Amino acid sequence: MFVTLRTLSPRQGAITIKEDEVAKKSRITARLMLAVTAVTLLGACAPGQVEGEGGAGQEPLAVESVDPAEFKGKTLNYVYFTDGPDQQATRSLIGDFEKKFDVTVNLEVLPYKDLVTSVQARLSGGNVPDVVRLTGLTDFKADLLDLRRYLGEKYAEEFLPGPLVGATGENDQLLAVPSDLTLNGPFVNVDMFKKAGVELPNPEDPWTWEEMIAAATKVQQATGSQYAFAMDKSGHRLSTVLNQYGTTLVADGKAVLDADKATKALTPLVEMMGDNRMPRDFWLGSGSRYTGANEIFLAQDAPVYLSGNWQVGQFAANAKFEWAAAPNPCAENCGGFPGGKYMAALAEGKNPALAAEFIRFMNTAENQKTFIVAGGFLPTRKDLAEEGVAYPARQPDMDVFLKDLSRTPEVGYSANADPAFAGSGTELVNAVSEVVAGKTDLPSALKKVQEKSQALVDELDR
Amino acid sequence: MTAVQTAPPRKRKSSLKMGLVPYLFLLPNMAIFGLFTIWPAINGFNISMYSSSNGRTFRWEGAGNYQSILTDADFWGIVRNTAIYAFAFVLLSVVIGVILAVLVDQQRRGRTFFRSVFFIPVLISPVVVGLVWNWMLERQGGLVNTFLGWFGIPEIPWLVDNNLATIAVIAVGVWMQVGFYMLILLAGLQSIDPSVYEAARVDGANRWRQFISLTFPLLQPSILVVVVLATIHGFQAFDYIYTLTGGGPVGATTLIVQYIYENGFVSPIRYGMASAGSVLLFCAIFALTIINWMVGRKREAA
Repeated sequence: MFVTLRTLSPRQGAITIKEDEVAKKSRITARLMLAVTAVTLLGACAPGQVEGEGGAGQEPLAVESVDPAEFKGKTLNYVYFTDGPDQQATRSLIGDFEKKFDVTVNLEVLPYKDLVTSVQARLSGGNVPDVVRLTGLTDFKADLLDLRRYLGEKYAEEFLPGPLVGATGENDQLLAVPSDLTLNGPFVNVDMFKKAGVELPNPEDPWTWEEMIAAATKVQQATGSQYAFAMDKSGHRLSTVLNQYGTTLVADGKAVLDADKATKALTPLVEMMGDNRMPRDFWLGSGSRYTGANEIFLAQDAPVYLSGNWQVGQFAANAKFEWAAAPNPCAENCGGFPGGKYMAALAEGKNPALAAEFIRFMNTAENQKTFIVAGGFLPTRKDLAEEGVAYPARQPDMDVFLKDLSRTPEVGYSANADPAFAGSGTELVNAVSEVVAGKTDLPSALKKVQEKSQALVDELDR
Repeated sequence: MTAVQTAPPRKRKSSLKMGLVPYLFLLPNMAIFGLFTIWPAINGFNISMYSSSNGRTFRWEGAGNYQSILTDADFWGIVRNTAIYAFAFVLLSVVIGVILAVLVDQQRRGRTFFRSVFFIPVLISPVVVGLVWNWMLERQGGLVNTFLGWFGIPEIPWLVDNNLATIAVIAVGVWMQVGFYMLILLAGLQSIDPSVYEAARVDGANRWRQFISLTFPLLQPSILVVVVLATIHGFQAFDYIYTLTGGGPVGATTLIVQYIYENGFVSPIRYGMASAGSVLLFCAIFALTIINWMVGRKREAA
């Protein structure tokens, strides 16, 4: 540039600079035009299948009978996440299935956090697993096989109606089988209760929320423990309290939180975090992430801990003190809040008939019993629930959960199965955090939860 | 005559060949870069104009996702957090990076040792950094408060007070990255001709004057690189913050990448919103990088 200018007169130089600038501007304009055109063209090409095009859905139901001999030599991919002790039982049952049908089952164990995104990616890439273990069907409803096609219309009747709510799609489709049931509920540190001279709760005659908090506070004062009460930081666990006070976040596709009842339900928790009877730092210090308070209970820093029956196996293995499952506290209702897992087959899987047969096999009365006893879960089958299940370890604790199951309000099942439940639960956790941090009051925070839950329902209903 | 006539095409052919060779060398890298970076980025722009919960079926939204994000009050809180974090991170990274580089450069012995010590945090997984600092900054029993307790300082709620948590994530971020910036600046310092300092000493300039009048101006190109990289790192911060504070307390340390992550990977999944957030982040970083670059060029020209 300098060389050019030196060889030109000032006038010529000025003209050259002007021309250069014009050329530069035109280049920039051309590039911008190109970018805008590219983006416009790109926008015209959908990144995948546009809703409403293709994918006519599943054909009308006609039960297909398959000769088991046809399964011989086939391979089935089962994507699984484990809660711990259930994995060995699953492997053993898979061994039996492989022997019975002369097939191969690839058990692919994934971390729970990666399960949804991993299966979604495999569906996008055409590498579809046949069967998957899920905690909810929300993210896959359109991709699941209606199991009635292979297992028949009546098969669903073998399962309890509550757990079945989350496995049922539109027009009574059986999109999954509830393979185990969980129930939220409290645990008590028996050693600390004894030391404090406080009576343990009676599973036959559950305590109230006031009685539970009074007992926990008394034990804390007597033993000098850091906290009185601990609870997992989770919308699902908070829903236990809401349910007991007669309300819930969402149910049957509607945002139904009753602000007055929710205020009554959550006030004791906010108060306990206010004076640190419940760990305030634990609640505020982990952002929007789920965090379990099991380590607080195991360290004997709190005599009462609200979690769920899946902790039974872990405490049996790790607790260095005497502990026990306690009945859920009552307010307007008694009982806990349900959860659980499902086994579902993907419609695009290579072997739908084998997948359906595998799900049936894993959930026969005998096999489900093996699985839930190993994992410390509750049964989903009617026959097992009626005859009862013997848990060789910790039978009295599992009996406490089984008793609470009969007291649990039905609305909990539809709440837990609602597509907007997980998102609404996160909003509830954030709302409680804001109140605990002193940023707002409980009624205002709950109003925001109501609005956000409604927005989620509207969004997911589109 | 014939030879004269045929010579020019041979030359053109040869220069064409020579012109192609560099591109052929670049091709494998560009192919991978194009396939795994450029194409997904372009696709991200496209997805930002749709809504999808599974990445396979899409619903046309046009500017709907951008409208939802830009009218969301929570998003503007996150933008504010991100701006504060990025500004403080860039500023502290440059200042501390320059100081460390000058100090290490002046060491006659142990220069490699100090260089390694400051660089080690760069090599640790950010997730591990977040977990370890979470444990160290715990109010009760945390290493930092235990240490401060020896001097009679009461327990500080590092991770549960909004302002302190912001300070904590900035400090940990700088601790984690400053070693890398120090190395860039150290290379810049070592490329300055020592005779310039000799001339300054002959003219009677003290160390401070030398730093202000020589080191700092001559280090400008390296500082510009650090500012650009720190700006990008500052806006992209997520992994260690997620394990350190989870974006809390009450969203005080939630930055834009966590907002994108939560839309894309936490139920209910919203790939369109996550992509729109990524496009906005791209635009912000791109604009800032261009500004940095133009300011740097202007200074160099001056």
